Amino acid sequence: MLEILIIFIAGIFLPLFPLSMVFNAILDKIKQVWIRVVLFITWPLVGLFIVSNSNPAIPDWLLPLSLFTSALYALRMLTLREVNQWNGFLATSLWSLLWLPMMQETSIVLLYGYAISMSVPLVLLVLLSAGLEQRYGAAYTGLYGGLARTIPRFSGVLVTVVVAAVATPLFPTFFIMFNMIVKTVSSTPLVAMVLLLIWLLWSWAGTRLIQGLIVGRASDVKIADLDMMAVSFYSLMLFALIVAGIYLSGVIL
Amino acid sequence: MDQLIIVVAVLPLVSALLIRLFAARIGRGIARFSVAMTTISFLIATVLLGWSLTGHAPQTLLLGNSYSILLFDPLSTLLSTIILGISLIVHIYSVRYMAEETAYGQFFVLLDLMTAALLFMVMAGDLITLVIAWYLVGVLLYFLLGQDTRSQTAYRFAFWTLITYRIGDIPLILAAALLYNAYDTWSLTIIFNEIMANPYAHQFLGLPLTEVVAALIGLAAFARSAQFLLHTWLPYTMDGPTPVSALMHAGIVNAGGFLINRFAPVFIHSGDVLNAIFIVGLVTAIFGSLLMLTQNDIKKALGYSTMGQMGFMIMECGIGAFSLAIYHLFAHGVFKATMFLSAGSVINNARQNDGIPKDEMYTFAVEKQPNKVRTPWLLMASITLAIPLVILIFAHLLIAEDYFQKQGAIVLLFFGWVTGAQLIFATYRMRTQNVWRLLGLSVLSLVVVVLGYAVISHAFDLFLYPDPAFRTQLYSAAAIDLLRFDVLVIIFTLIIVSGWVVTYYGEQNGYRHRKQTKRLRLNFYALISREFYVIDIYTRMTRFMLAFSGRLNVWLRWL
Repeated sequence: MLEILIIFIAGIFLPLFPLSMVFNAILDKIKQVWIRVVLFITWPLVGLFIVSNSNPAIPDWLLPLSLFTSALYALRMLTLREVNQWNGFLATSLWSLLWLPMMQETSIVLLYGYAISMSVPLVLLVLLSAGLEQRYGAAYTGLYGGLARTIPRFSGVLVTVVVAAVATPLFPTFFIMFNMIVKTVSSTPLVAMVLLLIWLLWSWAGTRLIQGLIVGRASDVKIADLDMMAVSFYSLMLFALIVAGIYLSGVIL
Repeated sequence: MDQLIIVVAVLPLVSALLIRLFAARIGRGIARFSVAMTTISFLIATVLLGWSLTGHAPQTLLLGNSYSILLFDPLSTLLSTIILGISLIVHIYSVRYMAEETAYGQFFVLLDLMTAALLFMVMAGDLITLVIAWYLVGVLLYFLLGQDTRSQTAYRFAFWTLITYRIGDIPLILAAALLYNAYDTWSLTIIFNEIMANPYAHQFLGLPLTEVVAALIGLAAFARSAQFLLHTWLPYTMDGPTPVSALMHAGIVNAGGFLINRFAPVFIHSGDVLNAIFIVGLVTAIFGSLLMLTQNDIKKALGYSTMGQMGFMIMECGIGAFSLAIYHLFAHGVFKATMFLSAGSVINNARQNDGIPKDEMYTFAVEKQPNKVRTPWLLMASITLAIPLVILIFAHLLIAEDYFQKQGAIVLLFFGWVTGAQLIFATYRMRTQNVWRLLGLSVLSLVVVVLGYAVISHAFDLFLYPDPAFRTQLYSAAAIDLLRFDVLVIIFTLIIVSGWVVTYYGEQNGYRHRKQTKRLRLNFYALISREFYVIDIYTRMTRFMLAFSGRLNVWLRWL
């Protein structure tokens, strides 16, 4: 009974549908950027902490449920227009997959590494989403468009962060996904196929987000672009993510 | 000297990085810098190709990580030189063509990154580097095609490309994972050696692993090389800049042919998969050519022409003529790059001189008015059918006497014969004062083309697959039993000959049709004009997915 309760609580932080709605409801209510940042970093870590300290026996039905959660949120991302909500759904889809390596008895240190590598691009997107809200009052796709012409530096950073978030090489999530597929393809090919389809949906949702924001004619209203300091910060973070990805690939592959 | 191959692959990366960092300081000079770096890389690749041609043994170079391996072998050196050659032309062309673009620097960064990704793809000596490069080509192409950020259409079709490429990534990733689990290494060389030593050592879902992997590799190649049902992106991605179209049609789309060649040691143990590849290539070649002929938009016609050519390339792999596919991708690449890059000057010339030349070729090809005066018909028909056959037999006997032992060669001869016969038939119908002179010239050009093609493809065979036993194995793997083969040859001959007969009678009747056939023709035309409804079906499926996604969000209150 206690084990089920632990899994139930962990299922809020390593999202399992319908408990996954808790995180998205909280995210919807929070307006302060720094709380959102803290939420994105700590949420999966809390889940991992609970599981690693109580060490419950993970039931078999959790695997299909975690895959279902991830696939459900990946599919739902396709029609989201609000950037912050999109980010929350991607986080849910990514973090729910952490159950998989956990069942494969991956070391807890590595699992923390996975969670942080998944969260960093999402945190960058939180900051960029806040930047959009600050400039336009809201961060919606298709609302203003043409950001590539209006604020080219901001758009460049935004596109790269989205690319990093949807598990593109050489970012860490790519290697995590690749490793999960390698570990499942021979024993449970269906799981590998579902993982690949989820990955495909992320790419699709990513392109829809990018197209909704950056494509279109330049706005007549003058909007301040990112300053060089901010660009350097984002570039450094993205470069660090690539280095982390290459390092992680050496460890897990 | 082997280490130079690392320099070849890394130089475009360094170029992209330096342009990104110092774009503001270098200004418009970034383009010349990028051209200079590509030129150096191209020159080194040419030297390495020369070295490889002199018989230098294949080498593997470890870059650092346990998996980052580069291959220095005939296939990688040849394709690196081709990629860099085409990339260099595209770079030089873009210096002025893209000059008015606001994202001028970004374009060259993407172009350099694309060149690097393609180089890493062909040089990859391990599965992870191959998967990474394969994946990145799709992502970079998406952004290159969407260079004009004002155009929703450009992005719409760039998305079609990306999603098809991502679908093509799935089988490659699965194949890589399966091979790693079976052989416990990422190294392609080790995996291939083990497969050669014991091809049926591993099973997957009760099937030989080699066959499963070959099928997955084939699927990955189909998506990348626009095979039928995965082709829709190719004819519609014309909104990207012309240099990108040139690079795409001349280089990127050929990746399928490369991938099948790279996995040749797997395919020699997967005869059934090769047969399936042949059929897919054949269907693509037919549908691509058919759709090309019915387009009134010249750019889409070019796209479908590439699709047809890719069908031929995949077909060549399916009959075991792997090296011929490489020659085909090279020849087609150069041809298509020339067409795309000269399009601008053709338009410019047409604007300066709008008088359409009323010469024989125009009357024949555009106005479709063939010569009404005929020389003896039976004699011409005999010449039409006999001459290409004689040339092909002569050409292949000159190269290898045992060529007819291979079914693949017979299939190629058959296609060559049909094409040659159509050429002479078409020549015969042209308006000319001296039909015999024209016929003589066309026969001469056919001799040159066929001999050139046969000799060059044979040279490619010797260079890429120097082991004669391996070459024989490739052709044997693609062979089917004699009865089936003969039946297929008869069926296809009948189809082609009946096509000729229908055309002949159509001309005789002045293309008048009975009511029933008229309706049939109209339905067939509607089918082709809707491009076999493939795009409509995909659009429906996409809309359904999006509607379902939206409905789910409403049901779950956006949480």
